Amino acid sequence: MNEYLSNGRLWRLCQKELRESLRDRRTLFTLVLMPILVYPLLSMALQRLVIGANSKTKEVTEYVLGVEDEEAGGKIRELLIEAQQTLERGFASPITVTRSNDPTEKDTTSSPVKPSDEIPSYKIEMADRATLDQALSDGRLDLLITKLNIETTKLERGVFPAYTIQAEFRQNDLRSETALSGFRRATQLINDYQAALFRKQIDRKIPVAMTFNATGIFEKADLSSSIAGVIPLVLILMTITGAVYPAIDLTAGERERGTMEALIATPAPRFALLLSKYVAVVTVAVLTALANLFATWMTLSFGGLGQALFGKSGFSVLMLLQILPLLVIFACFFSAILLALCSFARSFKEAQAYLIPVMLLSLGPGLVTLMPNVQFTTLLGIVPLLNILMLSRDIMTGQSSLVPAFAAVFSTIIYACATLVVASRLFGAEAATSGSQESWSELLSRPKKKQMLPDIGELAIYLALLFPVFFVASNLGGMFEWKGSWALFLNAAILFVLFMLLPLLYSWYRRIDLANTFRLSEGVGRGEPIWNRIARWIGYVAGVLLLSAALWMVAFEAYLLFESWSLASQLSEEDKERLKSDFLVVPFWVVLLTGAVAPAIAEEFFFRGFVLSAFRSKLTAFRSVLFTSLLFGLFHVIAGSVLSIEKFLPTIILGMAIGYVAVRTGSLFPGILLHALHNGLVFSMSRFTEQDLARWFGEETKHIPVVWLCGGVLSMALGAGVLFLSSQRNQSHEDSN
Amino acid sequence: MISAENLTKQFIVRGVPLVAVNHLSFQVASGEVYGLLGPNGAGKTTTLRMIMGLLEPDSGYVEIGGVRSTNKSTDIRKQLGLISTNDGVYPWLTVREMLLYFADLYAVDPLLAAERLEELANLLDLRNFIDQRCSTLSTGQKQRVTLARGLMHDPPVMLLDEPTRGLDVVGSQAIFRFIDLLKQRGKVVLLSTHRLDEAERVCDRFGLLHRGNLQFEGTLDELRQATGKQHLVDMFIAFLNAPQGNATQISSPVNIPPNELSPQA
Repeated sequence: MNEYLSNGRLWRLCQKELRESLRDRRTLFTLVLMPILVYPLLSMALQRLVIGANSKTKEVTEYVLGVEDEEAGGKIRELLIEAQQTLERGFASPITVTRSNDPTEKDTTSSPVKPSDEIPSYKIEMADRATLDQALSDGRLDLLITKLNIETTKLERGVFPAYTIQAEFRQNDLRSETALSGFRRATQLINDYQAALFRKQIDRKIPVAMTFNATGIFEKADLSSSIAGVIPLVLILMTITGAVYPAIDLTAGERERGTMEALIATPAPRFALLLSKYVAVVTVAVLTALANLFATWMTLSFGGLGQALFGKSGFSVLMLLQILPLLVIFACFFSAILLALCSFARSFKEAQAYLIPVMLLSLGPGLVTLMPNVQFTTLLGIVPLLNILMLSRDIMTGQSSLVPAFAAVFSTIIYACATLVVASRLFGAEAATSGSQESWSELLSRPKKKQMLPDIGELAIYLALLFPVFFVASNLGGMFEWKGSWALFLNAAILFVLFMLLPLLYSWYRRIDLANTFRLSEGVGRGEPIWNRIARWIGYVAGVLLLSAALWMVAFEAYLLFESWSLASQLSEEDKERLKSDFLVVPFWVVLLTGAVAPAIAEEFFFRGFVLSAFRSKLTAFRSVLFTSLLFGLFHVIAGSVLSIEKFLPTIILGMAIGYVAVRTGSLFPGILLHALHNGLVFSMSRFTEQDLARWFGEETKHIPVVWLCGGVLSMALGAGVLFLSSQRNQSHEDSN
Repeated sequence: MISAENLTKQFIVRGVPLVAVNHLSFQVASGEVYGLLGPNGAGKTTTLRMIMGLLEPDSGYVEIGGVRSTNKSTDIRKQLGLISTNDGVYPWLTVREMLLYFADLYAVDPLLAAERLEELANLLDLRNFIDQRCSTLSTGQKQRVTLARGLMHDPPVMLLDEPTRGLDVVGSQAIFRFIDLLKQRGKVVLLSTHRLDEAERVCDRFGLLHRGNLQFEGTLDELRQATGKQHLVDMFIAFLNAPQGNATQISSPVNIPPNELSPQA
């Protein structure tokens, strides 16, 4: 495999696939022409939708008008009655239209009274300004009078009041704009009537009876959040469309062209072949996504639709930059799905027959996102396709939250990896065996041969199955409001099932060597004098004790570091206090058993057993430990319904330390001991009050004293040294893995 | 030298076991052309797929240059070149791009691949269209590209699976010349075909395969002596219809329609 991943060979394989795809006119058609054709049409459709959403205004018989006090309310009511009476007198008013924000910009025309000139009926609501602002924003209010000044002028023929009125309305909202224009007509009518009266009597300067200014506030249309959901759906469907043709061409197409047999007869690993095809499909999908995103941005920005849907800032560049990575992640995921399906197909036609139902199925989650009342909850974060769609919708409507976003991104990446592994196993299998069904059954059946270690592909598939289950399980306690010891026991039971029992069962089914994979036997020791063995294990325990004496400091300082970056858990202070008091109620032995011993055993079986062994089947010890630790860190970030980002770094460091111990000793047990000791120490620390800590560390700082840290570094170095020396004999065994 | 030892493969078709290849053993030396002959469904392609490591034999193994397929199927594949009936080309790639792509798939060093490309361009007369896209090539040109593709990694063993099926006289002649070339270069050539007349012209030794069993193995002279027949077609029909003798290996002898064995089939 390595000779295909080195010397730029993999890149050259990718280049071939890219050339094939990008030189094909059909790919280019989808890439370039589709956005050009689709978006103007989409823009028109959306315009109609927005207008349609507001067209119910026609049925409105009464508009809601807000004022701050009763006096203003009374004056406005009088004014509207006067306007109505003026109209009823049959006064033919010249109509003056004033644009909303600029009173100087006037377009005066005369016209007879038309039915549309009628003054609509208004209901006057009184409340404080904040409530009125909110009501206007929510659409419960159609027009808000923000200022009403009345100045009286004494003239020879009497006192004429001059009104100065200011109002706010929702711009791009037909209902609000109709309410505004009706009100404007009322004021204009009174003005004109007053002017006409003066002209009949004395030709002298007349007072301006009404000065009316209105400011539009940019608010989304009623259905904007659901209409905004159309945009990610369209973007995602277009991204799929871009990826479909290359996916078929590079897989089923190989078979139709007669190149498949020659291809799979080469010594190149199937995964390398499929990876190069995957890179090409993802590239085309991402290019399509970019073209579509750009076209969307242009359409929304220059068509004025952006502001109607997303408020004042419209479809901003920031929004664009947030949506793009999501589309890339989605492209990675869906390209893998397409390749898996197309790898299974024997011809273009067959591939198309498989893909059409998938495309139609993907419309289902799309329609869910169009429902305005469907919230993107934490658990929906793990539902493939729907999660990215809902996250995109929430980003566009400015409502995204961190936990489901993390779940959506992380789960989609894992699903993509697992699907790619399945695709690589299906790719070409049909050409080698006599029928498609055999390739599927081989994928699912129990292997005939025993394997020493799981491979990385199996790990990806297991992770894709584990993550959603783990995510749901980690929310169980919160859903049933379990508290105290029961919650901790439930958590421990979940850990045992997911991280120990299921990997063991899976490995047994796949005939993976359990002792070797889970490091249950060191592989050395047979024939070794018992005293040597005892001495070696004393060394392991001493090394582990020294390491654990230092690692809690790393966890503590890393937490402080994250806290200083404001990245620590998003729990409020009250929640933290409540959790801590809940936690202090639980007997300490329960905490140690469920928080230190149980995770140490279960997680070590999975991470330093299954995961590390899977990475070791292909990678060097250092890289295997590093990747295992990254996964270890990511799984610890999920803590029920919140993200504990502060756990990420210390868990990675702990993972690296335990990984080192596992690789050096070739056994799982010293790692279990280190993990349990570390967790136990951290939990013990949390039992102490801040006063206790201040007494030890000093009043002026929350940090661990430098002398302690120096001791920690020394302890860690000594521990690593002792482990290194004690495990010299194990290395030949580890290397053979 | 390639050696197949006791190769057996059974498929389950609609719940019924079908032995595709039954304890098949043969050896082919360097510079020798071995014809693996038999009607459709005899087990030729299954045998080739087991040699290529695409199918895992139920029992037995293949050994090339001391490397056994059971241990190192990747190393075995590096020593094999395959020319097949349905070989196609990549329409959007140029001939040069396609040949270098296959060199990469066989992990050939890029500098060496460039040298070999030049050599094959001269040998198979590709120079005039080497930078043209494959979609623009004639059938004959595509065939030459396919032959060059099989030699880009200079394998010691060439597997030719029904290489002349669907080709006209000119195309078939090109294949025969190619086989001569391989022979001159000391390659092991394993030719799988049901066109016995062609096999007679180019093969040094033959293995007659029917229903997964090797019915007979030897040179043309040995076959003539054993059967008293002049041509492979007659010999094969005689073998299949014979109630006794070598054909007794066949569990349920059937008459093979002559058109399946005829040169025009």
